[in-house]
Amino acid sequence: MYPDDLKYTKEHEWARVDGNAVVVGITYFAQDALGDIVYVDLPGPGTDVSALQPFGEVESTKSVSDIYSPVTGRIVERNAALEDSPELVNQDPYDGGWMVRIELSSASELDGLLSASEYQKFLETEDEPK
Amino acid sequence: MTALKYSPLDDRHRALGARMGAFGGWEMPISYAGTITEHTAVRQRAGVFDVSHLGKLLVRGDGAREDLDRALTNRVADLEPGQARYSLILNDDAGIIDDLIVYVLAPDRVLVVPNAANVDLVRDRVASVGAKVEPLDWATPALQGPRARAILNAVFPKAPALPYLGVAELDDGIVIARTGYTGEHGYEIFCPPGDAVRIWDAILAEGAEPCGLAARDTLRLEMGYPLHGSDIDQRTTPREAGLGWAVAKAKSEYLGKEAYESHPPRKQITGILMKDKVIPRHDARVLLGTRPIGTVTSGTFSPTLRIGIALAYVEPGSVSEGDDVNVEIRSKVGNGVVKKPPFVGSDPRSEG
Repeated sequence: MYPDDLKYTKEHEWARVDGNAVVVGITYFAQDALGDIVYVDLPGPGTDVSALQPFGEVESTKSVSDIYSPVTGRIVERNAALEDSPELVNQDPYDGGWMVRIELSSASELDGLLSASEYQKFLETEDEPK
Repeated sequence: MTALKYSPLDDRHRALGARMGAFGGWEMPISYAGTITEHTAVRQRAGVFDVSHLGKLLVRGDGAREDLDRALTNRVADLEPGQARYSLILNDDAGIIDDLIVYVLAPDRVLVVPNAANVDLVRDRVASVGAKVEPLDWATPALQGPRARAILNAVFPKAPALPYLGVAELDDGIVIARTGYTGEHGYEIFCPPGDAVRIWDAILAEGAEPCGLAARDTLRLEMGYPLHGSDIDQRTTPREAGLGWAVAKAKSEYLGKEAYESHPPRKQITGILMKDKVIPRHDARVLLGTRPIGTVTSGTFSPTLRIGIALAYVEPGSVSEGDDVNVEIRSKVGNGVVKKPPFVGSDPRSEG
């Protein structure tokens, strides 16, 4: 449920490093806690984002949640498929449910993110999803 | 807070992997496969809910119907055994203590089913007119959806064909009622706690899908059914809530009658069908243009319509059917249109 090749945040995003960019989505835990996701609201390419600051929203039948950027950089691509098929985030959070690709300002920021095992340890301290 | 109560079906819910949550003082299943999946099962096939948290009060005695007729807003005295009716029970200011269904089982036995959180208030209020009322610990599986009749007949071969709002007591004491909170053809089954697991398992074996209270909420909201505690409460009168039809105005007596007849409405319930991709939520402001005119009391994403829907209270006379309104939620403003519920075409009177 938490692939080893990804980096994670305590706000439940994942980041996949791809050259000078990262692909970002939300984790299995996050989508499971939210329940059925019905809207994903993301800014378009060219938007600057800051590490651990919210840049978008994901809304389920029961609640809405901010999406935090794992890194500082600029959005270069967003997953247009989520406009019509937000359920991809539930069905396939690490692949079809990706949200944005962010060009990194500084590769060193990745060092502050959690590994898969660190994230899973962190989850044990979190409340059970409601 | 007192400790949470548990349904006789609690082990079954956990074995099915349900997400559990507190509701009305009970720990109940919120969802199993997912709210939209469960919602769709009820609209297109059949779902089964555990609503054992609902209050069950038995009113006894030869005058049971007459006693309830004096307490409740709707007529009870004219109901025959085998008939059920929706009613309200009011406080002295005509505020809604609860909404409930009365089921006449026999001339001297009437089952009253209020909301879980209000059962003690309703019991005391009904007892205040002299009714002899006792709580029951019965369980309540609710089978709902177009396939409900076929499944019911397979599980209870001796159950009679019930009309909408019909109720029957089987030989073994199990009560089957053609009622529900989804807008579909469906049944609520009232049984002693020891029978609950057998009945629940049999209904699932016939193909009904387990559904939680989150799907029950999206289903009822698509029909515009109010939820006590969210859309109606002791500060809301039946007229304000659009429930004047559940008040038998010609009756000489019901609790709260004097206030009901003298209080002009301070607010007016309305349905809102969103056009923008914004989901109205409880407490969101409703605007006419930019002027605040009210507040959302229940809102959700409609799985059937795939857009936001809401019940809201607005200033009396401020809007009419088809008017454009805005809903303000967090930093967003979404456009919607005033629409009298139901939002969908489902009808519990349909014969499935």
